[in-house]
Amino acid sequence: MAGSFAEFRRRTFSSIMFGLCAAGSALIISILLLVIGYLAWIGVSSLSWEFLAAVPTGDVANPGGMRHAIDGTIILVGLASAVGVPLGVLAGIYLSEYPSEYAATGPLRFIADVLTGVPSIVVGILGYELVVVPVSRWTDSAVSFSGYAGAAALAFIMIPIVARTTEEMLRLVPQSYREGSLALGATRAQTIFRVVLPGAFGGVATGIMLAMGRIAGETAPLLFTALGSRLLTHNPAEPFPSLTLQIYTYATGPYPEQKRLAWAGILVLLAMLFVVNLSIRLIAARHARTRVGT
Amino acid sequence: MPVSPLMTQPPTSAKPQPEPPQVELPARKRPIASVGPANASGGQYPVIDAIKRGETPEPRRHESVMGVPSILEVRDFQLWYGQNKALHGVTMPIAEGKITSIIGPSGCGKSTLLRSVNRLNDLVDGVRTAGSISLKGEDVYARGVDVISLRKRLGMVFQKPNPFPMSIFENVVYALRISGERRKSVLEAACEKALRQAALWDEVKDRLKSSAMGMSGGQQQRLCIARAIVCEPQVLLLDEPCSALDPIATLRIEELILEIGQRYTVLIVTHNMQQAARVSDFTAFMYLGRLVEYGRTADIFQLPRLRETEDYVTGRFG
Ligand SMILES: Nc1ncnc2c1ncn2[C@@H]1O[C@H](COP(=O)(O)OP(=O)(O)O)[C@@H](O)[C@H]1O
Ligand SMILES: [Mg+2]
Repeated sequence: MAGSFAEFRRRTFSSIMFGLCAAGSALIISILLLVIGYLAWIGVSSLSWEFLAAVPTGDVANPGGMRHAIDGTIILVGLASAVGVPLGVLAGIYLSEYPSEYAATGPLRFIADVLTGVPSIVVGILGYELVVVPVSRWTDSAVSFSGYAGAAALAFIMIPIVARTTEEMLRLVPQSYREGSLALGATRAQTIFRVVLPGAFGGVATGIMLAMGRIAGETAPLLFTALGSRLLTHNPAEPFPSLTLQIYTYATGPYPEQKRLAWAGILVLLAMLFVVNLSIRLIAARHARTRVGT
Repeated sequence: MPVSPLMTQPPTSAKPQPEPPQVELPARKRPIASVGPANASGGQYPVIDAIKRGETPEPRRHESVMGVPSILEVRDFQLWYGQNKALHGVTMPIAEGKITSIIGPSGCGKSTLLRSVNRLNDLVDGVRTAGSISLKGEDVYARGVDVISLRKRLGMVFQKPNPFPMSIFENVVYALRISGERRKSVLEAACEKALRQAALWDEVKDRLKSSAMGMSGGQQQRLCIARAIVCEPQVLLLDEPCSALDPIATLRIEELILEIGQRYTVLIVTHNMQQAARVSDFTAFMYLGRLVEYGRTADIFQLPRLRETEDYVTGRFG
């Protein structure tokens, strides 16, 4: 009797816990579906060829499209990556491949971790104070908001993320690769660039894509650096548009037609992030295949 | 005369499983050939007892191994990992053009000795050495030695196959690439030659561009051997090359080692006595970082001078 009661209690408890977990998951999934569904519902109706191809008209009743902002985001992310990826990967190599006694990797790793957690608005202010203001002073212009300043802020966010993921991925490369290469008379640099880094390619690429996805969705670092623009410009020396900035401007403004564009912009941004994430998955899967047998 | 189809087909499960050839080991009760004065203490294993007390007794080096021309000279070599002394004054010549095996219980410093030859131990923090190891008369631990070019003169194969995550071709020619060789014809010729020497050419010639990771363990290890001999090293260092392989793959590697031994000097670490007996010309028995006995393989296995060696190679101790 007592035994079966304990059994009953155990089973009931187990069922209740399972129910709670399932309910929690269902809740989260439905919230996600709701958000995406709502976005799609509103956004798709505003999505058009014009949205993708046209630039703002200045007419609030018929505001045009977001071509300038889409291009702007792609260029900003590209510029930031051109700086942030090499620096981040090199920093990751340094953290992983050089012994900590003389390379002070401990403090560096700590700093990278702290930087990863810095709120992005702080990075925006830093970009303003360290890039925009000095450049204005040197060039004697009013205020030099620019795509370069925005890209610098984004790169600043990117570097510690790429550095730490690169480090972690390089650490997963078996020590036997390094020994095998060194035993054949390779230098440390040859070993890193010919064996270790290619061995971690999938992981490092995943980290880079994650960081690109992260900065593509940032608004705060661009507010005081790139500033945003209603013009189609490919010159990063000028105030520069981005999807997030344009969404922010339209969504917080009073005009319903612009708000509709903001919704469509969000949808496009999410679609871009989705593509990036999908490519991460594909790279990771390919990576897993090529590494079979290690 | 109808023949049952069942009769004509050999049973599919009866794949020939080649047994590794057995080596004649000394009979249990055979009297020990020579018992040195070290045995006078009355203990069963006086040399091992002395080593355990921290002493470094003079090893029994047979005249047969001291007389041959050597390519590698290990002289009073000592190595510490931090406070821990792993090699205690090892002195042994390695015969040129021959296969020498190092046997001994796990942790006795076999790998350490091997990795000291190509200075791979430099990578370990806190390693100190004393004494010398000379390759063709040049001390590899002398000041100003170019470790990179030293390692290019030596090939090494590790316990676990470690092909690089790249194509079979690129694995084989790696040593040439890092030396700056770009000519396709040179690389291709070297690749074919090394793969043929490693008895792998016929198996992989049609898929040189495919990843080395898809090969079997035995093939991977033969690839590693091809990679190690592509630059024709003066000495090939093998650290338990078969310990991660199944018996059939092991047999193939052993055949390969015998063949390669005709062209190269091979120094092979193994904890498999049979393997040492099968492949090597000379055998060194190590214990706790000391060389204990060193001589021709046939002598070590059939006429050892120490009871310790005899009991170790027959599996009664160790
Ligand atoms: N990287 C290392 N750091 C510290 N001690 C080591 C290291 N490698 C080996 N040792 C020690 O050195 C001794 C010899 O090891 P090793 O040469 O690997 O033996 P074997 O190959 O004969 O099994 C062992 O006591 C081992 O613990
Ligand atoms: Mg070992």
